[in-house]
Amino acid sequence: MASDEEPRIGVFVCHCGHNIAGTVDVERVARNAQHFPNVEHSSDFMFMCSDSGQELIKDMIQLNKLNRVIVASCSPRMHEPTFRRVVEEAGLNRYLFEQVNLREHCSWCHAREPEKATTKAEDLVRMAVARAALLEPLEVKTVEVTPHALVVGGGITGLRAAVDIGSRGFKVTLVEKESELGGHLRHLSTIYPNKERAVDVIDRMLIAAKAIEGIELMTDSVVVDFDGHIGNFEIQVKNMKTGKTAKRTVGTVIVATGFEPFEPNGYYEYGNNPNIITLAEYETMRSTGSVLRISDGRPPKQVMFIGCVGSREEGVKGHEHCSRYCCTAMTKASSDIKDEADEVMVLYDDLRTFGRGHEEIHREARQKHVMFSKFAHSKKPTVSIKDEKIIVKWKDVLSGTYCEFEPDMLILATAMVPPQGTDEVAKLFSLTRSGDGFFNEEHIKLAPLTTHTAGIMIAGTAQSAKDATDSTTQASGAAAKATSLMARKNVEIESTVSWVDDTLCSSCHTCVQACPYGAIEMSTTKDPPVAFVTEAKCHGCGTCAAACPSHAITMRHSTDQQIMSMVEAFLIPPTIKGGSE
Amino acid sequence: MTVAGDKVDYASMRPTETALVIGGGVAGMQAALDIADQGFQVVLVEKTPSIGGVMAMLDKTFPTLDCSACILTPRLSEVSRHPNINLLTYSEVTGITGEAGDFRVKVLKKARKVLEDKCSGCGECVPHCPVQVKNEFDQNLGYRKAIYIGFPQNTPLVYTIDEENCIKCELCVKSCDREAIDLTMEDEEIEIPVGAVVIATGYELFDVSQYHRLGYGRFKNVINALEYERLINASGPTSGNLMRLSDGKIPKSIGFVQCVGARDVQKGVPYCSRVCCMYGIKNAAMAKELRHDDVKNVTVYYADIRAYGKGFEEFYNMAKERFGIKFIRGRVGEVEEIPKNKNIRVWAENTETGDFLKNEHELLVLCPGILPPKGLKELAGNFGIEVSVDGFIPIQYPASNPVDTAIPGVFVAGCAEAPKDIPDSVAAGSAAAMRASIVLARGGEL
Repeated sequence: MASDEEPRIGVFVCHCGHNIAGTVDVERVARNAQHFPNVEHSSDFMFMCSDSGQELIKDMIQLNKLNRVIVASCSPRMHEPTFRRVVEEAGLNRYLFEQVNLREHCSWCHAREPEKATTKAEDLVRMAVARAALLEPLEVKTVEVTPHALVVGGGITGLRAAVDIGSRGFKVTLVEKESELGGHLRHLSTIYPNKERAVDVIDRMLIAAKAIEGIELMTDSVVVDFDGHIGNFEIQVKNMKTGKTAKRTVGTVIVATGFEPFEPNGYYEYGNNPNIITLAEYETMRSTGSVLRISDGRPPKQVMFIGCVGSREEGVKGHEHCSRYCCTAMTKASSDIKDEADEVMVLYDDLRTFGRGHEEIHREARQKHVMFSKFAHSKKPTVSIKDEKIIVKWKDVLSGTYCEFEPDMLILATAMVPPQGTDEVAKLFSLTRSGDGFFNEEHIKLAPLTTHTAGIMIAGTAQSAKDATDSTTQASGAAAKATSLMARKNVEIESTVSWVDDTLCSSCHTCVQACPYGAIEMSTTKDPPVAFVTEAKCHGCGTCAAACPSHAITMRHSTDQQIMSMVEAFLIPPTIKGGSE
Repeated sequence: MTVAGDKVDYASMRPTETALVIGGGVAGMQAALDIADQGFQVVLVEKTPSIGGVMAMLDKTFPTLDCSACILTPRLSEVSRHPNINLLTYSEVTGITGEAGDFRVKVLKKARKVLEDKCSGCGECVPHCPVQVKNEFDQNLGYRKAIYIGFPQNTPLVYTIDEENCIKCELCVKSCDREAIDLTMEDEEIEIPVGAVVIATGYELFDVSQYHRLGYGRFKNVINALEYERLINASGPTSGNLMRLSDGKIPKSIGFVQCVGARDVQKGVPYCSRVCCMYGIKNAAMAKELRHDDVKNVTVYYADIRAYGKGFEEFYNMAKERFGIKFIRGRVGEVEEIPKNKNIRVWAENTETGDFLKNEHELLVLCPGILPPKGLKELAGNFGIEVSVDGFIPIQYPASNPVDTAIPGVFVAGCAEAPKDIPDSVAAGSAAAMRASIVLARGGEL
């Protein structure tokens, strides 16, 4: 449509079941909107996102010759793509769609104030109508995707992802900071649920990875520079041993930087007796030979495990989460060592042997007479050392009795925490982190592998604590996401970017400094040089437009005019023709 | 694109470019999308009239209390509109021959008696149908007609006539302007060449009436968790008003019993079902969320709280602190109905204090474990896969190849492999898609 055409706006107010309609009087909102300027259609509907809701929009666009569409429903995070597609299918440019968030911004946060929530909903819809009238169609742009993936991290997750992408026929560069591939699995004895030797698992993946021509394995290396955008990331990898750097251009990235086992300084006398070790240290010992007491080189006879060390601690930042692997890993270890030791005891809070085959390991341990004792969540065991003996005291909550045990080896099942350097990785790849310190996914339920940065995926313990099986599942899944982008060859990018009016630019460089994404450069083809925006890098944050002293920068889809129209609409409610009830 | 109207010639699909996904739940949909996005064709076979699976029945999801329909609906549209996905709903896989890269799959298209290319989903026929039966989608708590869609977002939006209950009065036929109803339609078997297969047949819930002592089926105010989900759901049979089945009263005290048909060797379910702790806590939180001040007492009876996933432990803490939910570690011994008010008395031991409890609740919700779906054994057998003792599809190398079955070219995603929550099912769906796409790209090799 031509942008000089008279705006004809359709407003669709969604009930979202009870989510919105339970609080906001959606019928009133829709009825009132009929009277706003340029509104040709206004109605309410149970689920706008359903097929029938989508059909309704299309039908009304046809019937009323609408050229702007407003859906007042939920956060655009989820459904903006849905409704943009709907209006496109009906022949409108996707940027002529506007979404109002009545769910997160009204009904959910004002659940106990239905009247005020409804008034606010009416305000928001009125503001959106004002803005919609000024919306302009924008060109939809695509970028090519370089058929080459970067995998950061060479543990089981990174290897699995690389092997999958390589097998599918795309190039992969895998970057690992250690000298050896395989990550933590290299230091484990056997892994649950099938008690496979961990080294066999790694070997299987290494053999596969090395057999594929398109996989480039870079050990002792770190990604030192990362720039660009989906489809076209420029990376620099530095070999920490040789000091040499290599440049690669990749289309997609999988971050599989893993975890590190929490070092429990200050917990249970760790560090004060050589026979108090972590589960990770125990596994390293077992994988390289037999388990022996550090103090005297003898095999332990009374072994005790304590769970939840550095996990599930309310109010302790970075330690509130459950580490997911430790209950089963500890149970498996207790079952293993029971074949050699006289007494084996496991102290736990809740025993979380939740996965396939985990309960079976738990039962096996009990059948071997490993003793399990539950301590209270709020009252952890205490450990003291007397004459080099380890004394553990705790209350077994199931029998209500106070217990004491003198293990000659105490093994602490410590938390999985993000590894050192996670901050730098987050900055490098523009990833955000959740409360547990791991990287945030795009959506916790339905998009666990993609991130808010297009083209960058996360997998394995980089996303949250988990075991090998769940990590490799995510690895193959993230590989599928990367492969889809590369197989499609082209992807669309947002057109909501900033634009510089050459004639107004005063060459002051303020915007170049202001842009957090390095998307603005001075174009030297002009004299004097003027600011120039690389659109694929622009995130549309608007910082440059706000900073520009010459008003030379326009944020497309959030122009000053569009924003001011909303403010005006809020402050000066239009006179309602015909009056409302 | 499988919008009504298109006739797909399944018999001449090219196996090197086509994958079969069995099951249209959240895992199967994800697998289908991730294969189709790579440019391959996907035939997605779903035995019920709609894709969406169990997730479509849920109210909110843990640990963010995201509304299930809100996040699932766009996924349903995405699948139904994807140019490379061919949806075969109300259909079942009955046989398979061949090998990786070149399978021949037999699919039974059950007669839905409504022409998919003509039905617009307008629902004009519904008021004319004189037969009212219980709606499976609402766990038989609500009603539907013999011509029906299970739920408003039914995908594809095409009605289905349930042959068992249809009395062939033809009133619907007369009411349909589009002449979309054909009562003479018969089942049809088609053969489809495909190169790779993803099994994503999901799960079913343990039948909690097997625990006679817990009163389900005997006392009206003992319900299972999926019934509870439908009762609190805005598009459910009570429009989201949680009420007791005995008298329609709003329950002010609700008990949740965990591990019903999970971690119980005697009942043949020795494994942990992985999701029940969290959906139990979520449902408990919802009881408070829905009726803030009305619901005075919400108690969860558990064995171990397995809040293992991302954000789960934090959610569990929130349930205790912000929602004030009581957690009692102890399996429920027995329940009885109090005749005068139909309340449920729960006998349990708090194993942490040793106290013997006799708690009275106005509603008791049993949280069932997960079973392999009926027919999985036969389906797997058709593929030459023998299910494990637990009844699920076995995996030889779970740590490195978590979605590969013993048969080359056949992969598994979601709960067909073992109980899983939504994000883990989604990840497994993507993973199975990756593995299947390799087989397609390499003409049968992995």
